[in-house]
Amino acid sequence: MGSNVLLLLRTLRLSTSPWNVYRHTTDKKKRRQVVGGAIGFALLYAMVMAYCILMCVGYGMVGLVGAVPVLCALTISALAFVFTIFKTNGYLFNFREYDLLMSLPFEARTVATSKFLYMYVDSLPWYASISVATMVGYGCFAHPAIFVYPAWLVLSLFLPIAPMLAAAFLGFVFAKISTGFKRTSIIQTVLVFAFVVVCFASRFFIEDLFRNNKVQQTLETVSQATNDAANVYLPARWFANAIAGPSMLDALLFIGTSALLFAVVLAIVGGSYKSINSALRSHAASKSYKMGAQRQRSVVGAIAYKEFKRFTGSTVYMTNGVIGVGLSALFGLVTLVVGFDKIVAMVTHDAPFDHAILQPAIPFMVYFFVGMFATTACSPSLEGKNYWIVASLPLQKKTLYQGKMLFNLCLTLPSMVFCTLCLCISAGVPALNTVLYVVLGIALCAFSTAWGCVCGVKHMRLDWENEVEVIKQSAAVALYMLPNMFVVMGLMVLVVFLGLSIDHRLLTLAFCALVTVLAGLSYRRVIALCR
Amino acid sequence: MGNNVMLSIEHYSKSYGAGKKAADDVSLTVCGGDIYGFIGHNGAGKSTTIRAVVGVLDFTEGLIRIDGHSVADEPVACKRVTAYIPDNPDLYESLTGIQYLNFVADVFGIGAAEREERIKKYADLFEITPALGDLIGSYSHGMKQKVAIISALIHDPKLLVLDEPFVGLDPKAAFTLKEIMRDMCQQGAAVFFSTHVLDVAEKLCNKVAIIKHGKIIFSGTMEEFTEGHSLEEAFLEVDHGE
Repeated sequence: MGSNVLLLLRTLRLSTSPWNVYRHTTDKKKRRQVVGGAIGFALLYAMVMAYCILMCVGYGMVGLVGAVPVLCALTISALAFVFTIFKTNGYLFNFREYDLLMSLPFEARTVATSKFLYMYVDSLPWYASISVATMVGYGCFAHPAIFVYPAWLVLSLFLPIAPMLAAAFLGFVFAKISTGFKRTSIIQTVLVFAFVVVCFASRFFIEDLFRNNKVQQTLETVSQATNDAANVYLPARWFANAIAGPSMLDALLFIGTSALLFAVVLAIVGGSYKSINSALRSHAASKSYKMGAQRQRSVVGAIAYKEFKRFTGSTVYMTNGVIGVGLSALFGLVTLVVGFDKIVAMVTHDAPFDHAILQPAIPFMVYFFVGMFATTACSPSLEGKNYWIVASLPLQKKTLYQGKMLFNLCLTLPSMVFCTLCLCISAGVPALNTVLYVVLGIALCAFSTAWGCVCGVKHMRLDWENEVEVIKQSAAVALYMLPNMFVVMGLMVLVVFLGLSIDHRLLTLAFCALVTVLAGLSYRRVIALCR
Repeated sequence: MGNNVMLSIEHYSKSYGAGKKAADDVSLTVCGGDIYGFIGHNGAGKSTTIRAVVGVLDFTEGLIRIDGHSVADEPVACKRVTAYIPDNPDLYESLTGIQYLNFVADVFGIGAAEREERIKKYADLFEITPALGDLIGSYSHGMKQKVAIISALIHDPKLLVLDEPFVGLDPKAAFTLKEIMRDMCQQGAAVFFSTHVLDVAEKLCNKVAIIKHGKIIFSGTMEEFTEGHSLEEAFLEVDHGE
C-alpha cells in the first residue's frame, strides 16, 4: 500500500505542479505565468514570515520568548484545521478524477490516504514558512542549543497532521450525513456553517465561564493565555516541551499521537470512502420533465442565474461564499436580540468607554464578514473547461463580468443591509446616520464586487484540476482577500479615531465618497481588462 | 441566404510555443448551402482552426470572416450567426438541461414562446425531453452532446460549426443530426464540421478540405477530390502523396 500511496501522491503533485508545466511547455506565455505565480506566492510566503518574525520580536522584547514554540504550534494547528475543513470536500471527496483513480487497482484507503497526504504536502509551504520564521525569531531571543533547530524543523512537520485529520474527519462526517439527502452541497454547507457558528459561540461561552470564575485574573499575560490554550490542545504542549525542555518523551508522544491518529482516521475514512464518493457523485435522475412555458431573462440576469446555480452546485464554492454573509446575518440577529452594548462589552471584556464611539465603524464591522469573500474573485477562473461556452456565445466580456458582479451583489447586499440595520437599531443610531451607514455598506459591497472582479479577471486561470485550487489557493483570491482584510481592520480603527473629533455624518459621507470612487475605479479597471 | 460566402478563412496561422505551427496558412471558403467536411489526422490542426473560427481561440495571423464580419474585429456579430458544438461538450454540470438551454436562449435574446417551440421540437427529435429537468452532471456523454446540439440550434444559426459531432451519439441521434444538417443547408445555412468518419463525410458533404501538419493539402468539391474513387481511397492517396 505504501508504494502505491507514494506513486499516487507523486502523480497528483505532478498533475497540479506549475513547475511541471514550466518544464514541458514551449508556450512562453504559460512559462511567464508560472514564473509570475511563483514570484507572487514567494512574496506571500515572505509576508507571512515577516509577520511571524515581527510577532516573535514583540514577544522577545517583552520577555515572553518562552511562549514562542507554543504560539508556533497553535498558529500552525489552527490554520491547518481551518484550511482543511473548507477544503476537504473537493480534495478528499467529490473530486473530478475519482472515476479514473478508482478504476485503477488501488484500494479505497490508498486513494484516501494519498489524497490526504496531497492536501498536507500542498499546504506545507505555508506552515513551513510560519515554522521557519518563528524558529528564527525564537533563536534570536532564546539562544537555544544547536540541536533545537533541526528538532524544531522536523517536529513542526508533524504539527499540521492532527488538526488536519480532525478537520478531515469532520468533513467525512458531514459528507456521510449529506449523502442521505438529495441536495448534498447545500446540506454540507449548512453543516460546515453550523459548525463554525458553534465554534464562535463556544469561544464566547468559555470566555464567559472564565470571567465568571474570576479565572480572567489569572490570564493576565499573553504568555499565560497561550499556555492555557496549549493545555487544552496537548500536541502544542508536547511540541513546546520537546523544543524548550528538551524532552524526548514529549517528542515521542507528539509524533506517536500524530501517527496513531493518522492510521485510525484514515482507516475509518477509507472504510466508507467508496460509498460516500459514490453517493456524492450519483445524481437523482427523474427523467420526467415535461416541456412547459419558459421564461426569458436579460443577458446579464441569465449569467447571474447561471452563477447562482454554479454556486449552489458546489460545496466548496458555497461554503466559502456563504460563510461571510451567513455570519453577518447571524451577527446582526444576535446583536438585535442581545443588544449592541452587551456584544461590545463581551468583545472588549467590559472595557470602560462610551460604546457610541464605535457607531461609525458599524458598516466596516459588517463588511469585515460580508467582504471576506467575493465570488467575482474566483468565478472567472471557475469557468474552467466550460470556458468554450461563454467564449463561443455572442457575449461581450463586459456583459459576462457584469453578470458575475450582479450575482455577487445579490449575494452580499441583503445581508449587508440587514446586518447594518440590526446593528444600528440595537445601538440606537439616529435615523439619518443609519441611512448613511447603509449607503456606505452598499458602496463597500460594490467595491468588494468590482475589486474582486479585477483580481479574478487579471489572474484568471482556467487549467485547474480541482476547484479548490481556484477557490482557496488562487492568486486572484489571495490578492483580493488578504489586503481587503487588513485594510478593513485598519479602517475600523481609523474611523473610530476620526469619529472622536469629526461629526459622524460628515465622516460617513466622506467614506461613502471615497469608497464609491474606489468602486468606480475598480469597475473601470474591469472594463479595461475586458478590452 | 443563398450561395453567399458564410465563412472565409484567409491565410490563417496559429503557433503554440516555440514556433511550431498548429495551423499554417490555412485558407478555405464555405458558402451558404454547403456541408463542408474538414478532414485530417489527429493533431493535424482541425480543432485549432475550428476554435479560431468560433472565437474561442485568439489568433494574430490571417483573416477569418463569418457572414462578412471579421472574427477578430467583430466577434460578437460573428457569434450571433454561428453555432458551435465541440468534440467533448463540457457543459455546466450544476444546471439542468432545460436551465442550460434557457441560458443560451437568453444570451441570444430568443423570446419565451419561440424558445419553447424550438426546444420542444429538437428535444423531441433527439428524445431527450424527459431528461431535461435533470442535472447535466447526471447525463451520459451522448446526452450532453444532444443538449449541446439543441443549444446550438436554438437561435437558428446561419453557420453551424461542429467538431467531431457524431462521437458518442446513438445511431438514431446521428441520423437525426445529419437530417438537420441537410435541412439547414437547404434553407441556405452552411455547415462546417470536422470528422474522422470518412463514410459519413462522403455521403453528407458537397465540399471537403484535407489538413495535414497544419496545412491545407486539398480544398474543393467532393467530386474534384474523389475523382470517381471512394473518399477513403482518395484521402489515403493524398495523404501518402504528401
